Amino acid sequence: MSTTAEQATFDTLEADEVLLEARGVTMRFGGLVAVDGVDLTVRAGEIVGLIGPNGAGKTTFFNCLTGLYKPTSGVVSFAGRPLRPRPRAVVRAGMARTFQNIRLFQNMTALENVMVGRYCRTSAGPLTSIVRGPKFRREEAETRARAQELLEFVGMPDVADTLARNLPYGDQRRLEVARALATDPQLLLLDEPTAGMNPQETRQAEVLIQRIRQTGLAVVVIEHDMRFIFNLCDRVLCLVRGSVLVEGTPEEVQSDPRVIEAYIGTSADEPDETGSTPEDGAPRA
Amino acid sequence: MDPAYFFQQLVNGLTLGSLFALIAVGYTVVYGIIQLINFAHGEIFMVGAFGALGTWIILGRAEITAWWMLPVMLVGAVGVSVLTALLMERFAYRPLRRAPRLAPLITAIGISVFLQEFVRLFYGPIPNGLQRLVFGDDIPFEFPDAKAAPRFPSIEGVSGGSFVIGGVTLQYAAIFTVVALVLCWIGLYFFVNRTRVGRAMQATAQDPDTARLMGIDVDRIIMVAFAVGAALAAVAGIAHGLQYTNIEFRMGFLAGLKAFTAAVLGGIGNINGAVVGGLVLGLVEVMATAFIPGTFGGSAWKDVWAFALLILVLVFRPQGLLGARVVDRA
Amino acid sequence: MRRPQIVTDERRRRHGGTGWLVALVGAVVLVGAPYLPWAYGDEAMDDMTYLGGPSPTQFLGLALGAALLVCLLAARFLVPRLPAARRRWFAWHTGASAVATGALAFQAVVVVAVALELGGLVNVEYGGWIALAGALLAFAGTRLLVPERTATLGRVHSPGWLVIVVIAVVMLGSLLLIAHALDEDDPGVFIALLVFVGAAVVLVLRVGLGGWFSSQTARFRPVLVMAAFLVAFAFPFTQDGSNANMSIATQVLIFAATALGLNIVVGLAGLLDLGYIAFLGAGAFVAAILSGSAFSAVGWNPPFIVTVLISGVVASVLGLIIGSPTLRVSGDYLAIVTLAFGEIFRLVMINLDGNDGPDLTNGSNGIPNIPDLNLLGFDFGEPHVILGVEIPRFANYYFLLLVLIGLVIVVFANLNRSRIGRGWVAIREDEKAAEAMGVNVFGLKLFAFAGGAFLAGVAGAVKAHHDISVTPDQYVFLESAFLLAAVVLGGMGTILGVLVGATLLRLMPEKLRFFDEYRLLAFGLLLVVMMRFRPEGLIASRRRQLEFHEDDEELAAHTGETPPGAGRVEPEGAR
Repeated sequence: MSTTAEQATFDTLEADEVLLEARGVTMRFGGLVAVDGVDLTVRAGEIVGLIGPNGAGKTTFFNCLTGLYKPTSGVVSFAGRPLRPRPRAVVRAGMARTFQNIRLFQNMTALENVMVGRYCRTSAGPLTSIVRGPKFRREEAETRARAQELLEFVGMPDVADTLARNLPYGDQRRLEVARALATDPQLLLLDEPTAGMNPQETRQAEVLIQRIRQTGLAVVVIEHDMRFIFNLCDRVLCLVRGSVLVEGTPEEVQSDPRVIEAYIGTSADEPDETGSTPEDGAPRA
Repeated sequence: MDPAYFFQQLVNGLTLGSLFALIAVGYTVVYGIIQLINFAHGEIFMVGAFGALGTWIILGRAEITAWWMLPVMLVGAVGVSVLTALLMERFAYRPLRRAPRLAPLITAIGISVFLQEFVRLFYGPIPNGLQRLVFGDDIPFEFPDAKAAPRFPSIEGVSGGSFVIGGVTLQYAAIFTVVALVLCWIGLYFFVNRTRVGRAMQATAQDPDTARLMGIDVDRIIMVAFAVGAALAAVAGIAHGLQYTNIEFRMGFLAGLKAFTAAVLGGIGNINGAVVGGLVLGLVEVMATAFIPGTFGGSAWKDVWAFALLILVLVFRPQGLLGARVVDRA
Repeated sequence: MRRPQIVTDERRRRHGGTGWLVALVGAVVLVGAPYLPWAYGDEAMDDMTYLGGPSPTQFLGLALGAALLVCLLAARFLVPRLPAARRRWFAWHTGASAVATGALAFQAVVVVAVALELGGLVNVEYGGWIALAGALLAFAGTRLLVPERTATLGRVHSPGWLVIVVIAVVMLGSLLLIAHALDEDDPGVFIALLVFVGAAVVLVLRVGLGGWFSSQTARFRPVLVMAAFLVAFAFPFTQDGSNANMSIATQVLIFAATALGLNIVVGLAGLLDLGYIAFLGAGAFVAAILSGSAFSAVGWNPPFIVTVLISGVVASVLGLIIGSPTLRVSGDYLAIVTLAFGEIFRLVMINLDGNDGPDLTNGSNGIPNIPDLNLLGFDFGEPHVILGVEIPRFANYYFLLLVLIGLVIVVFANLNRSRIGRGWVAIREDEKAAEAMGVNVFGLKLFAFAGGAFLAGVAGAVKAHHDISVTPDQYVFLESAFLLAAVVLGGMGTILGVLVGATLLRLMPEKLRFFDEYRLLAFGLLLVVMMRFRPEGLIASRRRQLEFHEDDEELAAHTGETPPGAGRVEPEGAR
């Protein structure tokens, strides 16, 4: 485990190893197949884009990867080892995520939010916490320092004591990223990181993701903003109705007629950038 | 085993179950619309019983026991229950509509305690005191003290009477309960499916925001839901009074909890479910009391089994037997 | 709090001067009126019939008037003479309107109490009416004052000795106050005293001293805590060997310790437990069964320290059982499950009487004749003489309970300020997100239940010996509701709040005996009113305050530099 984001660069960039490998991931809700045999391979340091019209199953796929859903079938392995579909196991293995609809701990301060991200990398148990010995205090101080460092990394050094709910929208998105980074991931899953942002904020998000990549982390990002995707990604997957329609470099995907048809042919599903449409892929009651 | 004994238990179970079902509908209707567990609903049932008694004292001069008193008492009971429920909705729940989930539940506990105590302390004193102001010491309508369990009026041809078929005793009061449930169920079906207000209720239950956009007055629909539940609880209150001859200010708590179990058992939010759940719970309780052998059987343990059933249902089948609208409970 | 907009800022600016003058007249009347007789009979409150000789209660009224006078005069004459940097140290106008409200409430209580105790408003003599009129004037006048934004005294750095002296004075004052309040038998005087204390506290907070106190004492937190405990330890020495107040105090402590345990479950982890009293009951029954009482079905009588541990462990095993459904159930369903468990516990305790089930608890008669504790030769049943003061039976238990509650506070506070506490709050805020961040959700929930239950079980073990007998009907649902009310009333997630809430809920019924009949009625009403108007409790943790008053921008602006994100945060994912 690296203590700073910079050090991580050397840990992971040296090998072109496969981080995440998902094979035939399928998720059924009753009769509806939300994700249908999707394969995804992510190598260290790579940025992979996941696009597709609303309801294509992108977020559901994320939920399958991160253990929030247990896939109906398929295998997900991380760094060569199979992953149990449990969020905790996934986070411990080194994969962290953000949410499409911001899910911060609204009534905790920004710093506390990030500190919660450290939970799985710290170990103080009940007794240790009650007695508060030197080891506990060291760990606590480290947690705090690391959280503050991450707030600075995402560009908001002064908000440590502000409640998450009082942060401006763009800052809330960045705080979610900081919280995810606090789990020391090797792979970051971002679910529509620019949803609801203005162009300037989108630019900032782009820069932030670039900086994250420079630290050696791999990123998988769901996005509707094509410019954003094509500026950023090494590789793009287009998901339509639960399965991969096209996979390739941004240029290949962009020029593929099937992708254009998938978006334009179904005008009702036109990609919107507000992020206000729930797109869990789950059937709505 | 003696078949007559079994059928007797079956009848008893269905009677008890009908009582539960009548109360359970109130939980389910309100929950279906605003996802609120109106924990104080049991007290509405109790208030209904006391309302019926009060109506009898005033309009029946505490002596008329002819059959036609029954509908009169019914009107009085429903009136008192509905009024109580509406006041409760307006002043306690409505301001909390957007509050965290904990708040309405704590409020409900408060209302529950308040209503019990209000009846206990003031059921006799307030009406009697008011009359003393007007009539002096010789008051025309003497209300009993609710601190002891007052007697419920016995209505000719219903209270106490019974007949026997094949060794199974059918009490008139029990028949009244079951018939009341059936009539209410049918009435409710028509109300919900065939009237404008009923359809508006369904729409609101599906999606309150859209319903509001469609011009439905959601506040009014919520009030209707509370009123419907209260009316049925009042009917249950009378049925309880007729069957058990005494009513008590505490009777709402346990009955309410069991009715809530019934509502969850049937799938909360689902009206038919509440009725089925009520009947099933009544049968289970009576049969368990009658047939569980050994030390852990009998009436001493019946409430334990009822609560255990409540827990099991909530944990393992929160959507109930008939299934309910799936709501994210997180 | 939203104020009714009868008095607009515009009107305040225009009529502020008039308001000040009216309030000043009111204040002078309030100071003068205590020298007049307030009541025709000397049985009312503490004899307020003299001309020129105020009773203690009348002096309280005088003190409120004087405080108002100080606020008003300081605002007008002191502030303009100060250097600019110090002008906003105190919020005199805000303080003035707080104390005027308090004075009005105080005088109203006095008038009503006199009327009730002597039978009619005619028994209020002219002084009482004049004082009430003065309070009304003061109230009306202060409404027109322009309130200051906030007091800045909290940012002033004061020398350490000053802070420690203030801590000592505050603690000594509260000791005397508590001793005095407990000796008060007249309900009217008691309520008036409560109102006075409330008014004084609000005044201190509003005028800016509260901010100073909390920011300065933060540096001396251990001193403050130690001082509080010293005061608590000193309390029995003020009682002249009397058991009466000590028995109330011990009940308060048992109740408070249990409520603090519940606060872990409800206040931190956000799990509503409506059957919590069962854990106290489990502890009490275990201790009773192992106490060597003649009515216990078990002969074994281990030393108390072992009993305490067994009680705690049994309770926490129950906690694990009750907590295990949290894997599948949450929200109000969980609350109902816990309620059902609580009822099952009580019914089982009744049924284990050897008749309807195995004999363990002696049924609904419970286990009487539990012997007093004897720890290392110290007999808790006998009075002892320490420092020349007799320490009666209940005072012995009081000391033990004080140690216990100290322990509970340490556990609560330290867990709260640790990774575990953050995990709990995260679960309360958004369970799914907490899970996705790697928080061990189920484990932490179970631990909240088991840990809280352990504390309650330990408290129950002491309670069994303290009460001498244990019966199932002490552990009914209503008691769980009371515990919950203590937590809610005081302020979920806070220590001080729950201590205050528990104290009020246990002390009031003792002191307001005449009110006994209406106790539960008032309790029910209190829950409803609290949820409606101040759901965050008397002493709100900062988090809670924000959570419950979303629309209150004034509040948000106080706690965060940045205003809420202009409505762009979509509420969609919030639940």
